[in-house]
Amino acid sequence: MKIEIHTVVNGRELDAAVKPNQTLLEWLRDDLQLRGSKEGCGVGVCGSCTVLVDGRAVSSCLMLASNAEGKDVRTIEGLAQGDELDPVQRAFLEQQAFQCGYCTSGMIMATKALLSSNPQPTEDEARDYLSGNICRCGTYKEVLAAIKSLAEKSPEGT
Amino acid sequence: LIAVDYEPLAAVFDPAQAMKPGAPILHTESARSETRLDRAQFRFEKNSNVLSVYHAEQGDVAVGFKAADEIFEDVYSSQKIQHGHIEPHAALAYWEPGGKLVIYTSTQNPSSIRAQLAELFDLPQSKVRVIVPYVGGGYGGKVHPRLEPLTAALARQAHRPVQWVLTREEVFLTAHCHASVVKIKTGVTRDGTIVARQVEGIYDTGAYALTGPSTTKNGGEVAGGPYRIAHQDLTTYCVYTNTPPTGPYRGFGVPQVCWAYESQMDDIARRLGIDPLALRLKNLVQEGDMFVTGDKLVSVGIADCLKGAAEAVGWKGKEEQRSREPNGKARGKGLAVMIKTTMTPSNSAALVRLNADGSAVLLTSSVEIGQGTQTSLAQIVAQELGISPERVSVTFPDTDVTPFDQSTSSSRTVFTMGGAARQAAEQVRRQLLEIGANVLEADVEDLELVEGNMQVKGAPEKKKSISQLFQARYGAAVGSMAASYDNQTSGGVDPRTGKGKASAFFFLSACAAEVEVDTETGKVTIERVVSAVDAGKAVNPRQCHMQNEGSMIMSLGSALFEEMVFDNGQPINSTFLEYMPPSMEDHPRRFESVLVETPHPEGPFGAKGVGEAALGPVEPAIGNAVANALGGLRLRDLPLRPDRVVAGLRLVNGESV
Repeated sequence: MKIEIHTVVNGRELDAAVKPNQTLLEWLRDDLQLRGSKEGCGVGVCGSCTVLVDGRAVSSCLMLASNAEGKDVRTIEGLAQGDELDPVQRAFLEQQAFQCGYCTSGMIMATKALLSSNPQPTEDEARDYLSGNICRCGTYKEVLAAIKSLAEKSPEGT
Repeated sequence: LIAVDYEPLAAVFDPAQAMKPGAPILHTESARSETRLDRAQFRFEKNSNVLSVYHAEQGDVAVGFKAADEIFEDVYSSQKIQHGHIEPHAALAYWEPGGKLVIYTSTQNPSSIRAQLAELFDLPQSKVRVIVPYVGGGYGGKVHPRLEPLTAALARQAHRPVQWVLTREEVFLTAHCHASVVKIKTGVTRDGTIVARQVEGIYDTGAYALTGPSTTKNGGEVAGGPYRIAHQDLTTYCVYTNTPPTGPYRGFGVPQVCWAYESQMDDIARRLGIDPLALRLKNLVQEGDMFVTGDKLVSVGIADCLKGAAEAVGWKGKEEQRSREPNGKARGKGLAVMIKTTMTPSNSAALVRLNADGSAVLLTSSVEIGQGTQTSLAQIVAQELGISPERVSVTFPDTDVTPFDQSTSSSRTVFTMGGAARQAAEQVRRQLLEIGANVLEADVEDLELVEGNMQVKGAPEKKKSISQLFQARYGAAVGSMAASYDNQTSGGVDPRTGKGKASAFFFLSACAAEVEVDTETGKVTIERVVSAVDAGKAVNPRQCHMQNEGSMIMSLGSALFEEMVFDNGQPINSTFLEYMPPSMEDHPRRFESVLVETPHPEGPFGAKGVGEAALGPVEPAIGNAVANALGGLRLRDLPLRPDRVVAGLRLVNGESV
C-alpha cells in the first residue's frame, strides 16, 4: 500500500507515492536520492537528519513521509542558489565549523531555522537551540563562532 | 517441530572476578586475535580469562618503598564508554565475475580489512579490494573489521551488491572503550620526590581479544606516568568478560592509568603540603631521560605543556588547594599531565606524482576521518615541492591503487605517513632539481623551488616553471615524475621484560580545568578547560587545536556522565536517548587549546601526532578540580556522577550515604 502525497521539496512541487511506514528521512535519501541528510541515532536526538519543514527544524527520522503532505520541505541540497552557497554554509566554511562533517548538514539546517526565527541569537540562545545537534568531533566552538559571525552580519544588527 | 533445550553456561561480567580461581573460563584455546597484532610483542596466558599480561620493572620497588616517607595506595576505576561516531558502521560489497571481492566501507583500517577478508574467504590479498570514502568519525571504533565479513558473505550468496548500515543499537554492541580497575601504590619522600611506584591495572576486554592486548600493553608501558621514578613495577592484565567486545578508543589504554596516577598525584601534593604544579614539575621526565620501557625520550615538551595549561587557567599555586566550605556552590581548579606511546613498529608507504602542469598527486591509504589528513598531507608534499597545497590532490584509500598503510589510528598519520609523503616528495624534488640544473646551468645546491617555479637562489629572474622543466626534459609539457617511499618505524618491546623501543615518538600533554560543584545536587559544571599538547611541529595549527578541542569535549563527557550500563552483561542504554554524548550545553564557556612545539628529529618538519594527545589528562584534571573545590574530597570511580559527588560529601560530613 502506498500513500499519495503532494509536497514541495527544495522549491520543487512533487506528487509522490510513499510507504505508510516510511520516514521522511528514508524517503528523501532512498527515493529522492537526497543524501545530505544523515541518520545518526534514529530516535530524534542527534540532529544529523535535521531538515526544515515549513521553515521549522524537524528530525526527519521521526517524521513520516506521508506527513509531508501539503508541506514545504527544505534539505541541505536546497540551500545553495546555483553555485552561490547560502550564508550559513559560507559561515561554516569560514569558521571551519566541522571535522568529519557527518553532523554538518543537520547542524547547518538547525542554524538556518534558528536564524530565521531569531536573527541575532545570544550565545546562550544558540547553545540552547542547537543542543539537539550532536557533534562527536567536538566542533561546537567553531559552530558557535559561525553563528556569531552571522548574527553580526544580520541586517537587524546594531 | 524442533524442541530446543538451552542450558545456560556460567558467565562472568566483572574483570576482577574473572581473574579469580574458579571463575568460568570464556575461551579454552589461545586467542588468535587480530592479524594486525604483532604477536611477538605480547605475553599471552593460557587456560585463564587473562588473555595477556604486560609487565615492566625498573630498580627494586621494595627498596624504593622502604626509602619512602609516605606511601599512598588506592584503587581507581573507569567505565565502558561508547565511541559515539555519529556515522554508524556502513559497508557495501560485491563480487566481480572473476572472483574478486570489492568492498566500500567506513573504516580506519583498509589494510587490516583486506587482510582479514582475504583470510576469511581464502583469497589472495590481490583478490580483495577495499575502498574507503570520507569517514564520519571513528575515534578508534572503526579500526576493526565489524560488518565487512558478513556483508561480503551476503553479497556472495545473493550474487548482488549488498549494503549494510548498522542501527545505533547495533553500533553499541560492536565496540566500546575498555573499562578498568587500577591499583596504584606510590612511595614519596617528604620533599616530594617519587621514589617508588607499583601499578596493577586490569582492562576489561569483553568477550573477544581484538586489540585488547595492545590496548593493555599501551596502558602498562606508561602506567607510572611521565615521571622520573627510580623504582617501578608496572603490570597490566587484559581480561575476558561476558560483555560485548571492546576496541581501541581514543587514548588507547592510557586514560585509564592516567586517571589513577594523576588523581593520586594531587592527594600526594595535598598530604605533603606542596603545590600540585610544583610537585609535578619536580618529578617530570626530561629530554634525554631513559624511560621505564628502555626508550630514550626525545622531544619532551611536557613541562612547557603543564606550565602553559596552568598559566592559561590562572593557577595560583598552593592556594588552589585551600579548603572551601562545601556549601552551595564550590569552585576549584585542577591540573594533570600525560605520556602515551604510539603503535610501534609500523609502516606507511606513499607515492608522489608531479604532473607536467605543476600539480601533484599524493597516493596514500590514510583515511580522512575528520582529523584533516587530506590537508596536512597536502601541505607536507606542497612544502617539499614548492607548490601551493591547493595544487596537491590527496587520494582516498583504494587497496588496488594506493600504497600500504598500517592504520589511520594511534595518531600516527602525520608522523609516519607524513614522513613517507615527505620522503617521496623529496625524491621527486631531486629529479626536478637535476633537470633544473641542466636547464638553468646552475648547481643543484644553488636552486630553489618557489611558488611553482625553479629559480637560482639570489637571482630569481633566472627561473623556469615546472611546465617548462617538463618541456625541456621531454620535449613537451606532458607526463609526470613519480617516487614512492616506504616509511617503517622500528622497535617493539620484548614481552618477557616489557622493554625495548616502545614508541617511535611519545605524546605529551597537560590539562587544566576549573569546575563549579553544586553541593546540593552534586552536579559538576566545567567552567573552563585548557589542553596543552606538544605537537613537535604543528603542520596545521588550526587542525591541531581542533583535535585538542575534540579530545577535551569527548573526555569531559566520560569524566562527568557518559557510561554504558549493563544488566547481566547486556547493555541497557544503547541509544542516544539514554546515552548522551556531550552537547553544546555541556561545552565549557572558556575553552582553550595550547600548542607546544618541541621538534622531533624523525618527524616530518619535526611533527609528532596530536589526535589523541589531549584526551588523557582531562578526566583527572576535572577530578582534581572537584577535589580542590570540595576540600580534598577524592572520588576514584568514573564518571563523576552527581550521586557519587553527593555520596562523597555525605561521607565527609559523617552522614549516612
